[in-house]
Amino acid sequence: MENIIEIKNLTKSFPGVVANDDISLEVKKGEIFALLGENGAGKSVLMSILFGMYEPDSGEIYIRGEKINEFSPQKSTIRGIGMVHQHFKLVENYTVWENITLGQEIVKKLGPFNFLDNKKSIEEVKALMEKFGLEVNVNALISDLTVAQMQRVEILKMLYRNAEILIFDEPTAVLAPQEIENLLATIVELKNSGKTIILVTHKLDEIKKVADRFAVLRRGSLIDVRDVENTSTKEMANLMVGRDIVIDTVKEEANFGKTVLEVKDLSLKNNLGVEKLKNINFSIREGEIFAIAGVDGNGQEEIAEAISGLNRGYTGEISLNGVDISRFTVRERNLEGMSFIPEDRQNTGLIVDFNIAENISLRDYYKDEYNKNGKMDKGHFIDRADDLIDKYDIRQGRGPQTIVRTMSGGNQQKVILAREIEENLPFIIFVQPTRGLDIGAIEKTREYILEERRKGRAILLISYELEEILALSDTIAVIYGGEILKISDSLTQTEIGEYMTGAKR
Amino acid sequence: MKKVLEKIKMPLLAVTISLIFGAIVILLLKKNPLEAYSAFLQGAGLLPKANYGGNQNQLSDFFVFLDGTAPMIFASLAIVISLKGGLFNIGVAGQMLLSGFFATILVGYSPLPGLVAKPIVILIGLVVGGILGGIVGYLKAKFNINEVVSTIMFNYIIQYTTSYFIQTSFVDPVSRQSKYILSSASLTFKGVSAFGVKLDISISFFLAILVAIYLNYFLNKKKDGFEIKMVGLNRKGSEYAGVNVEKTIIKTMVISGALAGLAGVSYYLGYMQSIQPGVLGSLGFNAIATALLGGVNSIGVIFASLLLTILDRGSVFMSSRLGIVKEISGVITSIILIFSAISGYIGLKLSERKKEER
Amino acid sequence: MERIIIDGLQFALPLFIMAIGGIYSERSGITNLCLEGLQGFGAFFGALAIALIGINNPSLVQANGFYIAIIFAMIGGMLFSLLHAILSIKYRANQVVSGIVVNLLAVSLTEFLTRQINSTVFGAPSNKFQLGVLPRHNIPVLSEIPLIGAFFKEIYPFQIIILIVAVLAWILFYKTRLGLRLRSLGDNPHAADSQGVNVEGIRYFAVMVSGALSGLAGISFAYSISANFSPAIFMGFGYLSITALIFGNWEIGPTFFATLLFGFARSGGYALAKALKMEAAFTDITMTLPYILTLLLLLFFSKNNRSPRALGEPFDKGKR
Repeated sequence: MENIIEIKNLTKSFPGVVANDDISLEVKKGEIFALLGENGAGKSVLMSILFGMYEPDSGEIYIRGEKINEFSPQKSTIRGIGMVHQHFKLVENYTVWENITLGQEIVKKLGPFNFLDNKKSIEEVKALMEKFGLEVNVNALISDLTVAQMQRVEILKMLYRNAEILIFDEPTAVLAPQEIENLLATIVELKNSGKTIILVTHKLDEIKKVADRFAVLRRGSLIDVRDVENTSTKEMANLMVGRDIVIDTVKEEANFGKTVLEVKDLSLKNNLGVEKLKNINFSIREGEIFAIAGVDGNGQEEIAEAISGLNRGYTGEISLNGVDISRFTVRERNLEGMSFIPEDRQNTGLIVDFNIAENISLRDYYKDEYNKNGKMDKGHFIDRADDLIDKYDIRQGRGPQTIVRTMSGGNQQKVILAREIEENLPFIIFVQPTRGLDIGAIEKTREYILEERRKGRAILLISYELEEILALSDTIAVIYGGEILKISDSLTQTEIGEYMTGAKR
Repeated sequence: MKKVLEKIKMPLLAVTISLIFGAIVILLLKKNPLEAYSAFLQGAGLLPKANYGGNQNQLSDFFVFLDGTAPMIFASLAIVISLKGGLFNIGVAGQMLLSGFFATILVGYSPLPGLVAKPIVILIGLVVGGILGGIVGYLKAKFNINEVVSTIMFNYIIQYTTSYFIQTSFVDPVSRQSKYILSSASLTFKGVSAFGVKLDISISFFLAILVAIYLNYFLNKKKDGFEIKMVGLNRKGSEYAGVNVEKTIIKTMVISGALAGLAGVSYYLGYMQSIQPGVLGSLGFNAIATALLGGVNSIGVIFASLLLTILDRGSVFMSSRLGIVKEISGVITSIILIFSAISGYIGLKLSERKKEER
Repeated sequence: MERIIIDGLQFALPLFIMAIGGIYSERSGITNLCLEGLQGFGAFFGALAIALIGINNPSLVQANGFYIAIIFAMIGGMLFSLLHAILSIKYRANQVVSGIVVNLLAVSLTEFLTRQINSTVFGAPSNKFQLGVLPRHNIPVLSEIPLIGAFFKEIYPFQIIILIVAVLAWILFYKTRLGLRLRSLGDNPHAADSQGVNVEGIRYFAVMVSGALSGLAGISFAYSISANFSPAIFMGFGYLSITALIFGNWEIGPTFFATLLFGFARSGGYALAKALKMEAAFTDITMTLPYILTLLLLLFFSKNNRSPRALGEPFDKGKR
């Protein structure tokens, strides 16, 4: 089999991070090729380059032996490359066939008008559906479809444009188990009709089911390319998370106190009715770092929003130091003793058009002691911000009055950390606390987290960096598909990797 | 000082470009732009005229000018606070009309002495405008009805309803407007003899300045003002900070409506002394220009209001002196608005370039 | 009864064609609050054309004035709408502000130019341009039918033109490739863009259509209401047609019925006032009906947002 895609020494960087580091690999025509790796490994970036959405910094890409000089989605479509993204691009109030044919409509010309040939369009789309075994009601509105059906429309869009190379970016992340089966069957069908498939995923069982070969990316570098048949899921997991992790941070002996946070039977459905959390149970003690490990999209965001109070549409019980806070608002939970460092720092944790002092004040500004005589005591927060800028080494242009929008992501994160940690509350949630920080800041942040642990705080750590979890946590819970599969204080990396990818249950 | 300069760069640019545009048009009409612009200033009492009618001089012109600026200040403040809260109150014209109407029929013809009548007029302005604003805010918070749409609906409902009642019950057959209010209810003391001329002394103007200063204080120093700004900038972040977003939206619109109400009573029971039925008045819409030109800032809109009122009031005199149709002031105002609207884009482009250079 | 139908129809049809223009614009994703200004400017441009052409070609204007007026009205509306298009699309300005700007500019510019041109060219600074009275006809045969015949009586020529244009607009909107692409832009311009559709180009087209159709509406109003162009053209009918299209859920068919409803409410109000010997001012009350109805409608249906999904959002290729 000849190579349909050849990637040679491809490198792509974004400010602060090398997303793809000197990657070379080949994809053979007609095979199902999987791209495996954790979050941030560089899989999506690589595929986006292939689909023409970004240009590489250096290196070359050959499609069917021809070098790519121009990068654009339109050009990629002409070259026969199609991509099903994680976020669908569909016109909601159009029908299935209208979405598929949009941009390459079948028309009948009459005078100056190009009339849509509905009949013919529907016929062709139906024929296409039959050919590849992808049935969806042609006349259904997108808004009435399930997610799995919408995905089928995205696939049909590619096939309608005669895509030969089909890229699927984490396609099963949004599907229910039965739908996953159907999709995998479809992928095999497509392969049988001569298509080349690239499957970007972190789910090992799926790779085992359909892929021929797979490549493993870790931190932007290509680790290895192997045949699926000769590799066990255990080996795959090992390759993905690696065995040689250096743990720098020194952790003290555990000294746990009483239970601070208790979560009982937490279940949550999103507004499409899909179960995002299924009967979550765990508890956290004083002085304990409890980490939830898993690949992004398995329910971590929902847990954070539920416990912090941003999303109160769950069933189940949450209690803090014995107080039932299940129905408390965000502010009430904060007053009861909960700090929260959210994942989306720009939209949730900060008001980026405010300055540092104002952001520092977000948890306290309304309190009577800062509003004497009806006037806000801005001076107090300016002073506090001054102190925190020094203490946490926050880089800014104009002191406490620096507008947060002008600061780098890492320093924005420091503002949130400073605010929340200084509250000295019994319970803190950290979600992705070191994302986007440089090495020095990462080290410092981990020190802060360990310091809080030393002070006897209960800490919930949600992170997509397995290495970070291993370095910091006392207890690890692994989440997969909205369920906590295992809680333990003595898991090996390999085991965690297996739970994370659904290889072990 | 540097901060102030930074802020007025864009508005200054917008005004300059618009004045140049206006100058070109004036030249095309074979008139002298400098003469025209100084005539504007003369009409507003900022420059002396060649001669005056009896009981009038530059001072009296100036006082009338201040009187005319007051409603504009209130109206643009109404828009400023709605924008700060992330909302767009384009229903100011309707809110003005409704409050002016109620004040007129409730107090405008009543025998109450001035000392009692005037505060009640102000109160009515605040209450009627506030309630109307509150309804709009409630519809937005609870039903997600876009405030631009609902305020347009209310504008017309108010326009027609008040028109009906004025024409059937309160009309002056000669002027075809509502009957002139009694001077006891007027927020402007018309024709006060002083310094050898008759002055229109406007309570509303001083009130407007005070309100602008207070609104500035409110937005910068009061907890409620802080929350309004927060919600306007980032709803999700505000939820995180514990703000009751729905309540804040309603609060914002109540304040905005109340300010529009003050604009209404200062316009219809101050600067004017009657209401023309069936007309919404352009002031509520021109206030958008003022708000943007003033940098969406309570103090800035004072200056913007003065400028735009010069254009408005001065145009009558300029027109009689130079024979240019007075509506050119409306054209210049619109052009200022165009450039104020674009300035956001230009500002973005400039800051993008600065980032690249760094 | 007949009067209500005849007068109602004369009012409803210009309202309808303007609403169609609004639908084109908003379904392509561009908020359009400036129909009011566009119809006024269109009426101005058409009336101006007749006035100027009439100086040297009075017989031409006598014979074909109406057609000249319509063509120039549509051209004028289209040109003026470019302002909104450029501000909204190229400069990514807030589209609500841009719409209001166009309205304000239309009012002040038309008044200024009318007076100035009248003064300079004709010697008298009038704020009006005369249009001449437009003849009305009964359509043969159809107007004889009892009851429904009223729909075919005393028809202005512009009503026929509007109906023809409306049908063409409907066909283009729902049945052609251009229409399919246009309608996708108000829902998900990124999807359309990724499938090769020219987002900006079609949006410019949509806004210009709204300008042209508004111009047609404006000149029709000018002829039917006062036989001239004057500042009174800015009666708020532009906002009424926006209300109609909201009521019609941004679809042409239902909007037609909405405009009929609003038209009959207006003429019905007049008739009622006359019949009950009430003051003419009573019609003011009936004129509030469309707005109240729409508010109630929004109250019960706004939770399921009915407006185009991407309405008012400037298209940014970078965002995903």
